[in-house]
Amino acid sequence: MKKALALLAAACTFTMAFSFGACAEETSGKTDLVIAVDADVDTLHPTDFSTTVEMNILNQLYDTLMYLNPDGNHEPEPRIAESYEISEDGLDYTFHLRNDVTFHDGTPVTAEDVVFSIELYKNSEYQGSQISMLSSVEAVDDATVVCHLDTPYAPFLKGILSPYICSKAYYEADPEAFVNSPVGSGPYKFVSRSTGSSIALEANEEYYRGVPTIKQISFEVIPDTATKAIALQTGEVGFAEIDSSVLAQLEANPQITVTEVPTSSFCYVSMNLEKEPFDNVLVRQAINYAINRENLVAVCYDGEAEVNSNICAKSRSGYSDDQLQYTYDPEKAKELLEEAGITTPYNLGEILAAEKYSNLATVVQNDLKAVGLDVTISVKEFNAYIDDLTSGNYSITALNMTLEGDTQNLEMAFITDYIGTANNARYSDPEMDELFNQTRSETDADKRLELFDQIFTKAQEEAIYAVLCNPLTLYAYNSGLKCPEFAFEGNYFVYDFAW
Amino acid sequence: MNKSRKHAQLAEFWRRYRKNKTAVLGLILLIAIVGMALFADLIVPYEKCIEQVGIERLQGPSTAHFFGTDEYGRDLFARIVHGSRYSLLIGLATSLMALVIGAVLGASAGYFGGVVDNVISRIIDVFMCVPPILLSLAVVAALGTNLRNLIIAITVSCIPGNVRLIRSVVLTTAEQDYVEAAKSYGTSNARIIFRYVLPNAMGPIIVNTTMSISDMMLSAAGLSFIGMGIQPPSPEWGALLSNAQTYLFSAPYMLLFPGMFILLSSLAFNLVGDGLTDALDPRLRD
Amino acid sequence: MTKYVVKRILYMIPVLLGVAFLVFTILSLTPGDPGSIILGITAKPEDIAALNAEFGYDQPFFVRFFQYIGDILFHFDLGTSYSTRQPVIDTILARFPNTLVLALLSMCVSSLIGISLGIFSAVRQYSVMDHVCVVVALVFASMPGFWLGLMLLILFSLKLGWLPSFGASSLRHFILPTLTVSLTSAAGLLRLTRSAMLETIRQEYIRTAKAKGASNKRVIWKHALRNALLPVVTTLGGGFGASLGGAIIAETVFAMPGMGTLMTTAIRQKDIPTVMGATLFLAVLFSFVILFVDILYAFIDPRIKAKYQNGGKKRE
Repeated sequence: MKKALALLAAACTFTMAFSFGACAEETSGKTDLVIAVDADVDTLHPTDFSTTVEMNILNQLYDTLMYLNPDGNHEPEPRIAESYEISEDGLDYTFHLRNDVTFHDGTPVTAEDVVFSIELYKNSEYQGSQISMLSSVEAVDDATVVCHLDTPYAPFLKGILSPYICSKAYYEADPEAFVNSPVGSGPYKFVSRSTGSSIALEANEEYYRGVPTIKQISFEVIPDTATKAIALQTGEVGFAEIDSSVLAQLEANPQITVTEVPTSSFCYVSMNLEKEPFDNVLVRQAINYAINRENLVAVCYDGEAEVNSNICAKSRSGYSDDQLQYTYDPEKAKELLEEAGITTPYNLGEILAAEKYSNLATVVQNDLKAVGLDVTISVKEFNAYIDDLTSGNYSITALNMTLEGDTQNLEMAFITDYIGTANNARYSDPEMDELFNQTRSETDADKRLELFDQIFTKAQEEAIYAVLCNPLTLYAYNSGLKCPEFAFEGNYFVYDFAW
Repeated sequence: MNKSRKHAQLAEFWRRYRKNKTAVLGLILLIAIVGMALFADLIVPYEKCIEQVGIERLQGPSTAHFFGTDEYGRDLFARIVHGSRYSLLIGLATSLMALVIGAVLGASAGYFGGVVDNVISRIIDVFMCVPPILLSLAVVAALGTNLRNLIIAITVSCIPGNVRLIRSVVLTTAEQDYVEAAKSYGTSNARIIFRYVLPNAMGPIIVNTTMSISDMMLSAAGLSFIGMGIQPPSPEWGALLSNAQTYLFSAPYMLLFPGMFILLSSLAFNLVGDGLTDALDPRLRD
Repeated sequence: MTKYVVKRILYMIPVLLGVAFLVFTILSLTPGDPGSIILGITAKPEDIAALNAEFGYDQPFFVRFFQYIGDILFHFDLGTSYSTRQPVIDTILARFPNTLVLALLSMCVSSLIGISLGIFSAVRQYSVMDHVCVVVALVFASMPGFWLGLMLLILFSLKLGWLPSFGASSLRHFILPTLTVSLTSAAGLLRLTRSAMLETIRQEYIRTAKAKGASNKRVIWKHALRNALLPVVTTLGGGFGASLGGAIIAETVFAMPGMGTLMTTAIRQKDIPTVMGATLFLAVLFSFVILFVDILYAFIDPRIKAKYQNGGKKRE
């Protein structure tokens, strides 16, 4: 038995005993890159895709008309279109194409392909909603495309720059191959795919912006966080998006560089405004004051999130420091609750949670308890959770959401039309609906910003949601790899990388 | 059966159990763990294991926190002590339920044979072909998530294996001479099954059941991944362990302690199971 | 015997129909619809409805079910996945080999370890080696699969750099996953073999054989093992199913594209054709494994063989 105990002890110290070593590796002169992704892609269809992983791979295969920095504060950069103009009335968008762009099969990219791509995108159930308000698109000549709108729509430019430009002839020749062995217009060509495991791309030597430095890319599917961290350290993987829980371990390794990229996704507490006591603005304000956001960021995101009580991220167009920020103030929360006529301890019922958000719920539960609001946590399977959330079958919940693209997209959280989808608070206010209506058609940038300022000031004062923070995207890569600064939202283009 | 004979049997059983030193050690370990579960409130108040102290998060073991603290700043010692209640309950309840259902179905199938065997075996075949995670999902979808449904979900997914095992063991036992003899005396079927067949088929069944208690504790952790573990912030060893996985690199002690307790209790159940197998064996009852 | 095998194969038909109906029902009853799961919370209701209609998900339950069964029976078509919009059979065939190799390797390794150490332990009951075998096996069995997998990964990939940390492109990639699955499952086999061996060693006929002066070796190999293996073989058959279960964890930790991960993702995405296809595919395989195990019984245990030869009826 002594031996047995000794073995037990040995097994127990197993975890503790490892000091994690790093493998040194020569990186200069390398031309290939292995990128780890969380999940397999379902498809490489240029319009009928739905996940971030798919988008990250399509970004290397296909080019868009122009590239627009997602923060909304930059001018578009030329890609397949070298310039654009918008008519005085804001109804016609004209794009002038380069004449030296070819698809991977050697055929030139023409205005007809662009029209085809935009129409395919617009008709897709998957991505079509990105380009709302487009009424028609036509090729004026081989190098000019005009998009027509019925009414002016301010965020249109951002939308029209999303479609990937694909070949009409290739699609018509073989719709199966169009999906399974895509011929793109971007810096990398599709080589092969092994279902569930990897996708190989190679440099497009004819690329119009110059030959890419990295010659081969291999996207490898590694779902487990810890495995990914290990593969990064052994050098098997060169670049990956990582989870904050392995950050400390990777940062300690001199072979690995970690970069934090701000995003617009937001973590928030949603309250059902149709239910008591959340219909009372004082209660919602109290909850906003009751939550210790700094602590939540430390617990749930290992510090890798930006504290922000505003639904609009700080780097996003429309944000201003003048808009009210809720900070941790339990005393004020208690006062507000008293003012609202709530006698504490008060039972708020259940806080709905999905497994992946249960850590948020646990922290929120603790903070609410401190001001005298009791909740019990009810965890549901994810689809059941979303079902309850969208149908309003809940009273309070904590989750994470991404409404990227133009700031206009935040309307989904506020306007009446989106009750049942992304307007989880089930907030309905004619004044708010009208404000978002104005930002849709206001083409003057400054006036539009003023309108957004009114919107977010109103949203904050009414405490429609209790927004907590904007999680950061973390990229870890081999220190030998040179990556330029990542833009807001963290889309990456391997074309810009070099060893 | 009179009182003194029963008493003598018990004494005889204990005498034989005691002979096996590892079994006795297992029993002591088991008593300690069960004691911890029963007297958890006396050891450390429940409040301690849900109290979040932000400034004390992710601290290694110390005199203030014997097993360190988790990412919320909760005392892991308190969580493990109170977690024993949930884990033991899940392990015992699921194993016993699966055993009872498995014994009834498996024994009937193995003993009666023919149509009964056929119907039971085909139904079990159907359930064995369905992935356990899907069965669990069905339970959650139908009943929602809480401790009771967690126990149901785990039980459902391990009944088919139990039925098949018990059926096969009964199949061999039912052919033994003493069963044939009992039949020839005109003993009722139920009496034969419970008096002669099952006790004699007990060895593999006990081994399987004790093994399964620790498996059940672990599957509770697995199920929390599909959103049907125990309700947070209640502690449960399996959930503590699966949660700690994220902190494998930065806080390995979070994996160590719950893992060690699962290991120790599983060891205890298994050693006791071994002891019981030997002590209960009717063929050693001379 | 042939009659018995044919009968068992015919039995598979209701079993498979039962599996199909059960899985289809479970998937249809769980919350959410494929359209909104794929398009997410921000999608327009009309886009979701259009996508569901494209999948045929707008049809009533029984229409969908009979259409699905009809497609399988009359067109040998397992359907098209909701998420990939590619034939389900292609995905299954691409992933199945990995899982099969992993399951077979793990089963071989775990029975090799489990059964041989089990016999060894039983023969030397209560010796030091017996305790060591049992306790070591138990320690491994009490480790959660993911934990053991990660520890092996840290040791052999990160620290020693001997083995790759992810993928399935060569046999070397299978070493760590196989170890993870088989080490955690060997203990069950060891203990079962041990206890069954001990049980049979004490039976009358063994004593008789011993009394007759048969050598110890002969008693163990010829008389005891054969009878002891019966419950062990049962678990082995079920063990194939269990290694598929263990494979899910190993596939996730070691990033192997296999059936386990395919099914878990498909279940979460409510990709009914993929879950159905994969389940039925494995069910057919599993049924044949069980049939094989049952035939194996008959060979090991003559009493049962006799029973089957009497037309499957009990002797009264």
